[in-house]
Amino acid sequence: MKRNVFYVFVGIIAFLEVSLLWLAIDTDNALLIQVGFVVGVILVYLARRTVTEVIEDERTSLISEKSALRTLEVLWIVIFLLSLGSIVLSFNRPFLIIIRGSPPPPPAELPNFGIFGFVQLFLLCLIIFLYVGFRIYYARKYGEYESDEE
Amino acid sequence: MKNKIKVYRAMNNLTQDALANAIHVTRQTILAIEKGKYDPSLELAFKIARYFGVGIEEIFTYEKQ
Repeated sequence: MKRNVFYVFVGIIAFLEVSLLWLAIDTDNALLIQVGFVVGVILVYLARRTVTEVIEDERTSLISEKSALRTLEVLWIVIFLLSLGSIVLSFNRPFLIIIRGSPPPPPAELPNFGIFGFVQLFLLCLIIFLYVGFRIYYARKYGEYESDEE
Repeated sequence: MKNKIKVYRAMNNLTQDALANAIHVTRQTILAIEKGKYDPSLELAFKIARYFGVGIEEIFTYEKQ
């Protein structure tokens, strides 16, 4: 498979994934998008192995490595902040009242656990944005967008 | 680090694409090395020098940035 054909193939898979997400929401079937996503990733991986031209070398690996490292460096701080906030929210009952044996009444409603899905989605989007941003920066630094003289 | 890859390519009438294919890297990597945007690893530098049949110091010269 040629490199450009591979990129077109990835684009088609991405389009199908978005369509599948819409269908999964419409039919209220979470398994549909979950299985579809895994199948999509496997298809892209298999297609990538059939590319005959060189699409990865030591320079592209260096760009990926540096981008991933910087993403991780920012991400652990964000995750740590979110975790600290969650801990404070979970243990925000006054200490002295608990010691005296009269704890405050439990909340009328359980917290909405669906919010964790959105937090995870936020983190996932953050990872993607950070990685793409750092990748653009390092790709520019290591000559990815240099103009051709030939 | 400075290099004479472009000179040697011209001497051998070789395109960036042909050189990239010969040493199994992307054409953009050859371009980045030629423009001084990327310093190749020792292995890649040896591969390039060996491809042109010269010593590594003939093509690559170290200069403090």
